[in-house]
Amino acid sequence: MATLEKDQMLSLAESVVAVALRKGAAEAEAYVYEGQSINTGIERGQVTKGNKIVDRGLGIRVIVNRAVGFAYTNTIEEQNTVEETVLRALSAARASKPDPDWRGLAEKKPYSVAEKIYDTKILELRAEDLVNVAFKMLDAATTVDKRVFPVEGGVGAVYLSNAIANSSGIEGFDQGTIIECSLATVAKEGSKVTPVCFEFNAERSYDIDANWVGKEAARLAVSALKTERIETKNTKLILTQFALQDLLYFTLINALKADNVQRGQSALKGKIGEKVTSENITIYDDGLFPGGLRTATFDGEGAPHQKTLLIEKGILRNFLYDNYTAKKENKASTGNAVRAGYLSTPFIESTNFHIIPGEATAEELISEVDDGLIIYYLQGAHSSNPVSGEFSVVATPAWKIKKGEITRCSRGVMLAGNIFEALNNVSALGSNERKMGQLIAPWLLVENVKVIGK
Amino acid sequence: MEEILSKLNEIATQKFGAEYAEARAQKLNKAMLTLKEGRVEAAKQGIEKGVALRVLVNGAWGFASVGSFNAESLMSAMADACRMAKIASKRLKTRIKLADTKTVVDHVQLKPKKDPAEVQMEEKIKTTLTVNKAIIEYDQRIKSCTIDYMDLTGTSCFINSEGTCIKQDKLYVWARITAAAMLNGVFTFSREEIGSTEGYELFDNMLETISEKVAKRAVEQLSAKQPKGGKFPVVLGPNVVGVFVHEAFGHLAEADLALAGGVLADNLGKKIGSDLVTFYDDGTVNGAFGSYKYDDEGVPAQKTLLIKDGVVTGLMHNRETAQKFNAEPTGNARAEDFRVEPIIRMRNTYMAPRDYTFEELLEDIAFGYYFKSFRGGQANLDGTFQVGIQEAYEIINGELGAAVRNASISGSTLETLFKVDAVGKDFELAPGRCGKGQTAFVCDGGPHIRIREVLVGGNT
Repeated sequence: MATLEKDQMLSLAESVVAVALRKGAAEAEAYVYEGQSINTGIERGQVTKGNKIVDRGLGIRVIVNRAVGFAYTNTIEEQNTVEETVLRALSAARASKPDPDWRGLAEKKPYSVAEKIYDTKILELRAEDLVNVAFKMLDAATTVDKRVFPVEGGVGAVYLSNAIANSSGIEGFDQGTIIECSLATVAKEGSKVTPVCFEFNAERSYDIDANWVGKEAARLAVSALKTERIETKNTKLILTQFALQDLLYFTLINALKADNVQRGQSALKGKIGEKVTSENITIYDDGLFPGGLRTATFDGEGAPHQKTLLIEKGILRNFLYDNYTAKKENKASTGNAVRAGYLSTPFIESTNFHIIPGEATAEELISEVDDGLIIYYLQGAHSSNPVSGEFSVVATPAWKIKKGEITRCSRGVMLAGNIFEALNNVSALGSNERKMGQLIAPWLLVENVKVIGK
Repeated sequence: MEEILSKLNEIATQKFGAEYAEARAQKLNKAMLTLKEGRVEAAKQGIEKGVALRVLVNGAWGFASVGSFNAESLMSAMADACRMAKIASKRLKTRIKLADTKTVVDHVQLKPKKDPAEVQMEEKIKTTLTVNKAIIEYDQRIKSCTIDYMDLTGTSCFINSEGTCIKQDKLYVWARITAAAMLNGVFTFSREEIGSTEGYELFDNMLETISEKVAKRAVEQLSAKQPKGGKFPVVLGPNVVGVFVHEAFGHLAEADLALAGGVLADNLGKKIGSDLVTFYDDGTVNGAFGSYKYDDEGVPAQKTLLIKDGVVTGLMHNRETAQKFNAEPTGNARAEDFRVEPIIRMRNTYMAPRDYTFEELLEDIAFGYYFKSFRGGQANLDGTFQVGIQEAYEIINGELGAAVRNASISGSTLETLFKVDAVGKDFELAPGRCGKGQTAFVCDGGPHIRIREVLVGGNT
């Protein structure tokens, strides 16, 4: 991949800030982004496509009379377009209303080193290499069992870099790589089709196990062929990372965002120092987790990434802050401003949401369950109440655990409850930590969850 | 522009051995606002341009996207696309072919009453601020209100190697309004969206009613009770019917998902629902959020009948799946922008009305639920659906009772459609955004309906 140089991106960001100040901005910030990816796609059992996407752009935030204006462009090689974009940001700010709570852009602070996020081997990958990884994954899946049908999947190599500069002295450049392979499968037997099962492996360095992904996606689908109905009751659940990622993103993580707390739309408001989950739960937001999928040197405003203790043995310790919400409380940003590339202004999001693992192996956790369910994929987590944490979702499928062993699968099992009650009922955590999007977590064993069967 | 794009397609077919090539150049302008409790968080304006290139070589797809109109960059991107396809085709058993479609040369120009691109940012801020304040002041129990506003205008120029050349204006206006209320540790959350392809005038007309709806619901839900978990008869409002049609059936009727092991592939021509069930996916509803004239493969949008009186009559196709099913392309291939390839997406998906009044739907229910408005929904290829509800009421002896919060419904589509035993005579379409890797603007809707029995997720 031919990528933009660090100096090129930084000097563009700095020159934009200078132009904005000259044209009348009280403060200015420029964010230069480059994303490149090559992908190979699997559809209906075979590799059918390849793509290459190059996306570069510039986002400019200016402040005029305490009002914030933002403009972006994806034409960054032409000086006049860049200047026009500055003017559009200024005109947006001038059209807007002053914000009495605005207390300045982020200031420069020392950066820590973000480890294991950039691997030149990923940059050197060619389409041929990705196709070979895809073949390996497909072969692994189909040799498990003839009833397995790989529905879709793919292999992708991504390069991301960004540079930021602002009028408070921030300047930073960061680059990273990601490689990912994934496979969705169903198993078919006669007229019976299982729900879609899914596995993936994503890493920052070129170290993925396509063979495992293929085998595991196939194993899950085959194991979903044998079904059994489930009755309505309160029961034990093992939540795997798939279920946790979905559920926590729309409930707990929302409640931890300082913006939601300050605006009275978080059930955790006013609860710092109080017990909010069971004692065995400790959670960090760790923007520097080595090799984490969201690990970076700095956030979308140039504030340093850091490791923030959120919940310590069940006690709420902190919230996720960006520069704006932190200044409102005379605090420092926790480095949780993120951006959707150059297209958006920064907003609060967790980086790597790290639930500290426990001692139990996966097998031990399962063996502790006399009668319960293990949950992989959820439907409808996004329809949870983001303020109260109440959820009413469907597990498709859920596998039954009987006398310490996973048995048959049950379709369309509804789970209902409140995330804070569920986290209060966590009786054990696995040692099987895994990265999934922003989540780094083990399996959780949760007691007494309402399950509604057919 | 047309000349460069044609030249690119020519190079793909003549120099790189592509059997098909297309180029889609787009220029998009966006204006966006985020408001929170009477504060403008940021006023945003963006311009983006780029070209999507897609080719078939040896029966495999190659795709490249580049954020530039520079001829040299485009030539190199086209070479990349062809190379990606060639490499992907290495072990291909079934070559991809495209169904024939008429070549089209057209220029689609929109003439909105009020072009959002012509409306000053000041005016957009003034309008949204008024609504934001009205919601906050509606009741002191309302703690927060967020409004996200977006308008998108631009042009798309599509040219393929078969001679189709379509220039098409784009226009979308959209807003989402959310409010949260709190009382004695009970938190509620309420959401509405508005969206149109017609023009900015939508806002002047709709904002006031929408904001009152959002505020009223957030407050009313504070005293709502938890639903019972289990099977109950339910009446669904048009808004919930819409998302049910979209999630529980619509995705299964997307031909790519049907081919990927979805349950509908084996049910074409078969009866999968009661006689009262008729569904359409319609790209031609004037001004609706999911409407357009041509899709991103140059195929005209149409009104597609999916189920008639309970029998599956068709699927939503692109040219590739139409060829596989030996069907006509239905104009459902849509790409969010030039960064991505077109995939099969819904447009305006709805259930056709029949003859019941709302009171008649309720009158035979001793105990059940009226689900009026949804919060979200999701489906699985095996036909399991989930719809989360943000506004619900008990039905007791044929009358509406207490408000109910945080319910959801679930079931198997193929079983549930048979349980639709009464369909109302009213009709409403509501705008939304659908995620399938990319975001598409759509509408969902229908009349009120009654389902004899459905699984309700509840906490008590």
